[in-house]
Amino acid sequence: MSLLQISEPGGGDPRRAVHRRAAGIDLGTTNSLIATAIKGEVRTLADADGAHLLPSAVQYGAGGLLAVGAAAKARSAADPGNVIVSAKRALGKSFAELRSGGGFRQYRFDAGKGDAAPAFVTAAGPRDPVEVSAAILRALARRCREETGEELAGAVITVPAYFNDAQRQQTRHAAKLAGIEVLRLLNEPTAAAVAYGLDRGGQGNIIVFDLGGGTFDVSLLSLRKGVFEVLATGGDTALGGDDFDQAVADWLIAQGGVEAVAAADWPALLQVANQARERLGDADQAEVVWRDWRGALDAAQFAEIAAPLVRRTILSCRRVMRDAGVDTGAIGNVLLVGGATRMPLIRQAVAKFFGREPLTDIDPDRVVAMGAGIQAEVLIGNRPTGDFLLLDVNPLSLGIETMGELVEKIIRRNTAIPVAKSQEFTTFKDGQTAMALHVVQGERELVGECRSLARFTLGGIPPMVAGAAKVKVTFQVDADGLLSVSAEEASTGGKAEVQVKPSFGLDSGQIEQMLRDSRDHARDDMLARALGEARLDATRLMDAISGAIKENGEILSAAEKSGIEQALAELRDAMAEHDSARIEELTQRLNHVSEAFAARRMNLTVGAALRGESIDTLSRETE
Amino acid sequence: MLAIADNYFAQFALPVDFEINSGRLGSRYRELQAEVHPDRFAASGEEQRLQAIKLSSYLNEAYETLKSPLRRAGYLLRLRGIDVEQVAQSDLAPELLFEQMELRESLAELSGGESAFDRLDELNRKAASRLAERQRQFVQALAGNRLDQARKLFHELQFLHKLQTEIDKKEESLESVADF
Repeated sequence: MSLLQISEPGGGDPRRAVHRRAAGIDLGTTNSLIATAIKGEVRTLADADGAHLLPSAVQYGAGGLLAVGAAAKARSAADPGNVIVSAKRALGKSFAELRSGGGFRQYRFDAGKGDAAPAFVTAAGPRDPVEVSAAILRALARRCREETGEELAGAVITVPAYFNDAQRQQTRHAAKLAGIEVLRLLNEPTAAAVAYGLDRGGQGNIIVFDLGGGTFDVSLLSLRKGVFEVLATGGDTALGGDDFDQAVADWLIAQGGVEAVAAADWPALLQVANQARERLGDADQAEVVWRDWRGALDAAQFAEIAAPLVRRTILSCRRVMRDAGVDTGAIGNVLLVGGATRMPLIRQAVAKFFGREPLTDIDPDRVVAMGAGIQAEVLIGNRPTGDFLLLDVNPLSLGIETMGELVEKIIRRNTAIPVAKSQEFTTFKDGQTAMALHVVQGERELVGECRSLARFTLGGIPPMVAGAAKVKVTFQVDADGLLSVSAEEASTGGKAEVQVKPSFGLDSGQIEQMLRDSRDHARDDMLARALGEARLDATRLMDAISGAIKENGEILSAAEKSGIEQALAELRDAMAEHDSARIEELTQRLNHVSEAFAARRMNLTVGAALRGESIDTLSRETE
Repeated sequence: MLAIADNYFAQFALPVDFEINSGRLGSRYRELQAEVHPDRFAASGEEQRLQAIKLSSYLNEAYETLKSPLRRAGYLLRLRGIDVEQVAQSDLAPELLFEQMELRESLAELSGGESAFDRLDELNRKAASRLAERQRQFVQALAGNRLDQARKLFHELQFLHKLQTEIDKKEESLESVADF
């Protein structure tokens, strides 16, 4: 069956004789697009009316699917519960999260398949976010087939850089449901950078500021000779144009122009808010009409309403720059992606922060799909590999719990992947034979405030004095972002291993909350860390001295013994307080009063060891 | 796929030296990643893909070690057979500890308000200039093969680097409540 694979005389890749249809799909919160190569050039495809954007809206009726796209969106106000919009924001969310999320006031949810798989209640029955997404993907694939006359052989689908594993898995699942072969999930800002870099020959450091309908990503990339190196990435998967609309809608309610809004009226009110916001793009003032109420929103008022949202985007930008250690002066270009970046307010804030006007001649709606389309051409074999390479990073720090409920970060956020890092840990107590390892993810310094990923135990550590065993813990993250952890005891080679998916089950809201918390509580953390460390040092010393007194108390004079015991008691009291300086001070005092004892005991121990006697009695089985 | 060199510097065809051509390091890194990155072997067998992950991880580690001045300094000491993980109390001069305490105290005292960022900038400049000074001394000590002194300077660099990290954290926490 190789009839089609006719090589040109003189060789060449026979694969080239067979062109396979590949496409890039931008599955957006508000709008979706598909891009494919037409006569060698990747471009987005339009529908019969010439519209490139397919509104991400799906309408269900008693008989099943009624409409997808503009037709569905147009009926959103009239049929609020059955027209599903912004389904992307529901991907990977639990039933509880959807019910409490303010963005979905017009829907009812069904937890028939469990808390982890909630569905929208529609006239056609429950439809989960994966099914809704699949309906959109199917409509795009149809558009591609009608335009090119070919079946889609494979697609690259874009996701926000900050999407977690559950959200990525569900995106893949939606494609499968739609009968689309996924060549790769590609991060949206990276896709935009590819389109910009390859088509414009862009070089140097670029910022991709991607504010879509429901998500926000900001990435700093270095573009050099076809290599797209992500230097740092940050964002907020619960921030987008939708939030600006909601803020305007809430403002309308606060103005008194809108009386108690029924859940069913919410889509209509959002549309009024959205229209007002979009009109402010060209005008200084927008008229707002809601039922029989008339009012106006001017640019200054809108700026005030939107200020907290704008601020969040700029905070993310600052963090990305700091993480990369790059100065805003070293940014060659700022690329705006996502329809919400059309807001003059955003453009001004971005221009002010980066000290340069962002590029505005690239269509912010289409660039992501085009970048995905280009990568799809490479992966399917229509375009030579080696054209470009993407080097990505992991978005959140990965670490391990240490004594005092502190986190030791092993792989920091924004580390290039794949990566393998090791660190040595030691035992805390004399004679400890097992070590419990707790793998966590997040930026905070306390375990309780990070996301728990996995727990496992390394046993078989030979009993030794505290601090003598050496356990090497290795974290590995592969190019797909999957984490595996292993631990090994140096003297015996005893091994324990575990594999975890870093962001599995971790919803994006939690990711941001953790990031925001770590920003807000950096000082609390420092204090807590200092306290934790002080307590740890104190515990260690107290344990050692108590143990030593039990073993060799006979070599102490009565005065020495009471001095040490008094210092011990004082320190024990101080441990209950939260004053790390006091604990440190008393620890030092205890250390001081027991110095002579420790020295004599050392001589004793060395003497015993030299005489060939067992020193096993010095260690205690504590674990 | 990739020949592993004797040390990270050699891997990127750079002289073993603290002073580094970072442009060259970056371009060499990208060239090598283009050869070994797992994406290049998406269609290859399991073994080759595993090998690609290992080599690519190794390159990332080598690159990050040389890119950071602090890690580069530690690596140079390691190449001379010095274990930089072991910090001895005697490595830290009392003046250094005092200076550190002073800087940390001024950092801890900072609270919100307009001028906090200016003072943070000033602290940052102070730390950076001390870092630069000690880096110079480190280079000289290494060149003169005064390894014990180089090791002490390395520990001082570590301290200053940690201080910078704390300044960054402070800045983040101040930013989250400030207007700009």
